[in-house]
Amino acid sequence: MALLDCENLRKSFFGVEVLHGVSFSLDRGRVLGLVGENGSGKSTTMNILGGVLRRDGGRIRLDGADYEPRGPKDALARGIAFIHQELNLFENLSIEENLFITGFPRLGAAIPFINRGRMRRRARELLEQVDIRHPPGTPVGQLSQGERQLVEIAKALSVDARVIIFDEPTTSLTRREADRLFGIIERLRGRGIAMIYISHVLGDVTRICDDITVLRDGAVVGGGPVAQMPTERMISLMVGRTLDQLFPERTATPTDTPVLEVRGVSQPGVVHEIDFTLHAGEVLGIAGLMGAGRSELARILFGLDSFKTGTIAVDGVAIEAPSPSVCMDRGMAFLTEDRRGEGLMMHATIADNIALASLDEYASPWTRFVERTRLGDEVGRIGQKVRMRAADPMATLVRHLSGGNQQKVVLAKWLLREPKVFILDEPTRGIDVGAKFEIYKIIDTLVADGAGVLMISSEMEELIGLCDRILVMNHGEIQAEFRRGDFDSGRILEAAMRRRGTEAAAAPAAAMREAV
Amino acid sequence: MKLTRRQFTIGTLIAAGTAGMPVFAKAQGKKTIAVLFDGLYSPFWVAGLDALKQDLTKRGYEMVQAISDKDDNRQFEQVRAMLARKVDGIIIVQTDSNAVIPAIKAANDAKVPMVHFNRPPAKTDAFSVAVVADNRKITNATVEHMVKVAREQGGKYKAAILIGNLGDPNAIGRRDGFFDVVDKNKDIIDVVARIPTEWNADVAFAGLTNAFQANPDINFLFTSSDFLFPQIVQVMKTRNKFHQIGQKDHVIFGGFDGDATAYELLKDKYLDADGVQDLFKEAELAVNAIVDLQGGKTVERVLLDPGFAIHQANMAEVRDRMWGYSIYKQKNG
Amino acid sequence: MIATSIAGEARPSGPRRLLRHLLFSEYLVLYLSLAYFLAVLPFVPQMASAEVMRNILSDMLPLLVVAIGQTFVLIVAGIDLSVTSIIAMASVVGASVMTGDGGYLADSALAVPGAMIAMVLVGLAIGAFNGFCVNRLGMPPFIVTLTTMMFFSGAAIWFTTFHTETSSIANLPHGFVVLGQGNLGGVPHALWVVAAVGIAAHLVLARSVLGRRLYACGQNRRAAAVSGVPVGRVIAAAFLISGACAAVASILYTGRLQTGTPILGQTILLDIIGAVVIGGTSLFGGKGKVLWTVFGVLFLVLIDTSLKMLGLSLFSVFAIKGCVILLAAVIDAVRTRYAARF
Repeated sequence: MALLDCENLRKSFFGVEVLHGVSFSLDRGRVLGLVGENGSGKSTTMNILGGVLRRDGGRIRLDGADYEPRGPKDALARGIAFIHQELNLFENLSIEENLFITGFPRLGAAIPFINRGRMRRRARELLEQVDIRHPPGTPVGQLSQGERQLVEIAKALSVDARVIIFDEPTTSLTRREADRLFGIIERLRGRGIAMIYISHVLGDVTRICDDITVLRDGAVVGGGPVAQMPTERMISLMVGRTLDQLFPERTATPTDTPVLEVRGVSQPGVVHEIDFTLHAGEVLGIAGLMGAGRSELARILFGLDSFKTGTIAVDGVAIEAPSPSVCMDRGMAFLTEDRRGEGLMMHATIADNIALASLDEYASPWTRFVERTRLGDEVGRIGQKVRMRAADPMATLVRHLSGGNQQKVVLAKWLLREPKVFILDEPTRGIDVGAKFEIYKIIDTLVADGAGVLMISSEMEELIGLCDRILVMNHGEIQAEFRRGDFDSGRILEAAMRRRGTEAAAAPAAAMREAV
Repeated sequence: MKLTRRQFTIGTLIAAGTAGMPVFAKAQGKKTIAVLFDGLYSPFWVAGLDALKQDLTKRGYEMVQAISDKDDNRQFEQVRAMLARKVDGIIIVQTDSNAVIPAIKAANDAKVPMVHFNRPPAKTDAFSVAVVADNRKITNATVEHMVKVAREQGGKYKAAILIGNLGDPNAIGRRDGFFDVVDKNKDIIDVVARIPTEWNADVAFAGLTNAFQANPDINFLFTSSDFLFPQIVQVMKTRNKFHQIGQKDHVIFGGFDGDATAYELLKDKYLDADGVQDLFKEAELAVNAIVDLQGGKTVERVLLDPGFAIHQANMAEVRDRMWGYSIYKQKNG
Repeated sequence: MIATSIAGEARPSGPRRLLRHLLFSEYLVLYLSLAYFLAVLPFVPQMASAEVMRNILSDMLPLLVVAIGQTFVLIVAGIDLSVTSIIAMASVVGASVMTGDGGYLADSALAVPGAMIAMVLVGLAIGAFNGFCVNRLGMPPFIVTLTTMMFFSGAAIWFTTFHTETSSIANLPHGFVVLGQGNLGGVPHALWVVAAVGIAAHLVLARSVLGRRLYACGQNRRAAAVSGVPVGRVIAAAFLISGACAAVASILYTGRLQTGTPILGQTILLDIIGAVVIGGTSLFGGKGKVLWTVFGVLFLVLIDTSLKMLGLSLFSVFAIKGCVILLAAVIDAVRTRYAARF
């Protein structure tokens, strides 16, 4: 008998059914991969399991008994722990305090004081199980993202969870941290704990899961042991059609006209002697590990951060005193890796977000009023161009959009300015397969129209599939350059990891994320 | 969300309907007097409000009150609200003697009599009546008694005066009253400290402390208001200057207002003399003025409360007219 | 997708729908004002008289001007505590220029315009200083404006002592006084000034490039900076506008009291911020409208007027006012909670 058995789960919001009978089961010591595009019902299903939402129909059995959680606390008491994408830790408290925040061990049943000694011993045991070597008194704020994730897992273990649900656990982790997480998942599997793993990164799913269930539009559309579910099959199930290709055919070839020339740009401790040229019609990729200085370089190029020496020239003319507005005037655009933090006004409408970078162009010369009709028409046009899916861009708030559509809003904001040089920092992070393809097509159209694109990505496949050239950064320097035709993921990785000695040797092939 | 036309219509109708509602007649035909104070910062004002209330109730008037809490504009708005409420008269302690003038004009326009209680307004064409204590005379009498005590004791005196906020004509009157007398007695009295207080107890405390540091031998002290007594007593105690009448280091000590602390200090023989504003008289004068103005009689623009000085010699006879004594009696049964 | 389903699918019927409509309407505070008005009418029937209506209108005007300025600052997630001191400082500076008792421009034809320009300059200067500290020195608006508030409330009193023996500067020219007090057929002159400021402020916020940038800076300052918005300049502009609006309010207050006084407006800081926030403008930035502020000011003045008319003691006035504002805040909290569910 399965440990967890979901049968025919149904759920409606405001009269609209979003889950149409989802069924799956999970055995002890197995990892179930749950994949699907945004809005396919993964989160709703897991929220039902985690006690956040109540189901409208169907049946869940846990260990043979009916499972009807009254809330997240109840779910936890029954042994189902939910580790959310955004972690629920108190950064100002220590690891041990976070572990026992819901029930501190007391000195005695009636004594309202914390039994520090017992808390510390128990915390040590738990931290050992997840390989954290910090003392239990360390504030969580001092831990890296990956370590925080592990603290969440330790928290689940502290209540003897039988089922652990992971929702996009690797989004904010470095590759090494993700590997460490997978090691822990492996270990937990050995101890008979069942896990559900939700992710867009299908490579990870294939690597650590035993079984796969694919959701589309609130229903299960396929599944089975991982061996029978190659990535291509997962994708075609997810999007509901066969994708013959993951990347669009590039429609243009690069010209020899330089649009962005970077010469000897250095900022101590960040980047060193950066030298490259971006041509019109070219997609130039920048590969590298987290912390190799790629995003930092992008910020310097766009005038957000300062640099000490070197020159940056657009169309052959150097930019003096770069700032975002100066760079924008010269035809540059910058899509940040931190979509929520720096890319969008989450509580504003789609139209307001798209208009933000182009207000000056749509201001009437005398009153400085925004010409709303003209702007509205253009926003609508751009929205169509990026294939935005939203009822009314003037009324819909960005926070109600899926990740893919949010990213399209950021793209549209910059496309409205018709940039000549477009710097994209992780443009497809956290986005489902269908939207990724559309973003690739937008990039292709952009360069076909004569722009140059500088694309930073951690997904090797994406760089290889899309770029004309790839620069590899490592420790703030450009280590190597590859041209289309002699792309070789092994050699790119090697360049990205050079100097890192033992770590590089450990698992070069797995060290960068396999892309979808 | 847009306001639909129907909602707008309903809203306007409701508003129009209520606006047209007939104004109800005033309660039981009783006359209403508005009493507007600047604040109730010291026992003097609390007692003043109380005295007015008693007087008005005695005569069968209804009293409504408002306090501006040191806000000129709020007081102006309060006057207008009272005029809109159709009160029959306004008794006001204004926050600022200049800024009250538009309010007087508004009252004139509405033909509602206005009487200033204890504080006169600045010069203006607008008509109002001010009931004020004759600060200068009362201070004269008080300081004269202090000088008399000094002459009887003999010796030379170093004097200090705590001066009020000079935006307040009362403060000016008391200061002048003090100097009228000491200037005539320069042979024995030398004024070594003029301490500005801005009617602020903390400022007074600091000023007096500094004065005693500069002149440790001050032995003649007058305060322009009794509400500063607690601070003064504290400073004197720390300087070892607080002694009863007849003891060696006694400082000849006088005050102004006639509050309960003054009575206690007199009774305990620390205070030599105190100028008393006759609050009960002032309340009566104010209400009389309102009644007379309503009755169409002419009233002088300034009505003086002659007040009196209370001192060790006449204490038993005059204390019943001292407002501080009635508070003292209430407190001590 | 979920957002559209509310409108499309869930339509409760009859009274519940009306209640919901009222709760989520941006006219909520207007409705509350109306409800409050009807509720106090039995106790103070005179509230419905034309005279009181006129009083309410003219009491609203100066408060509304400062509140509109404050709206700009709150939209960029700032706060301007110095407005009351700007009112006081501008009042005594303006009076010192035009007073018949030895003003700098006494009895000159330029006295009134000169004084008004001086007052606005005081507002702009203090606003500019606030903006500079916030923008260039990166200081938190609360601290910057708290210190300017303290400094200039003291400076105003100090300044007054050079021009008069008394606590305030009187004898202001007739031409000036008329602006604060006069009316034409019952319509106060100040209304035109305030209407002009209000319409201009509305146009700036709703229509201009600056307006869009103000909202952007309040919503997500980093995203605005990445999108080329000159964040520092935009925030400084908000403080500048707030300072200028406070100076205009000072002109109206000084005119209606016919006196330049250094304690002018010292006690209304919470009324100003309270009115803006009750109107619906967020203290956390990115959200606010001139119209909302008009409703917020109306609501507060309505409460104030009714309490003045009742003639209650100071303590009950504060208590009742606190309760009514708390009630409005509770309603707002309820609606935010409901809104968060969708």
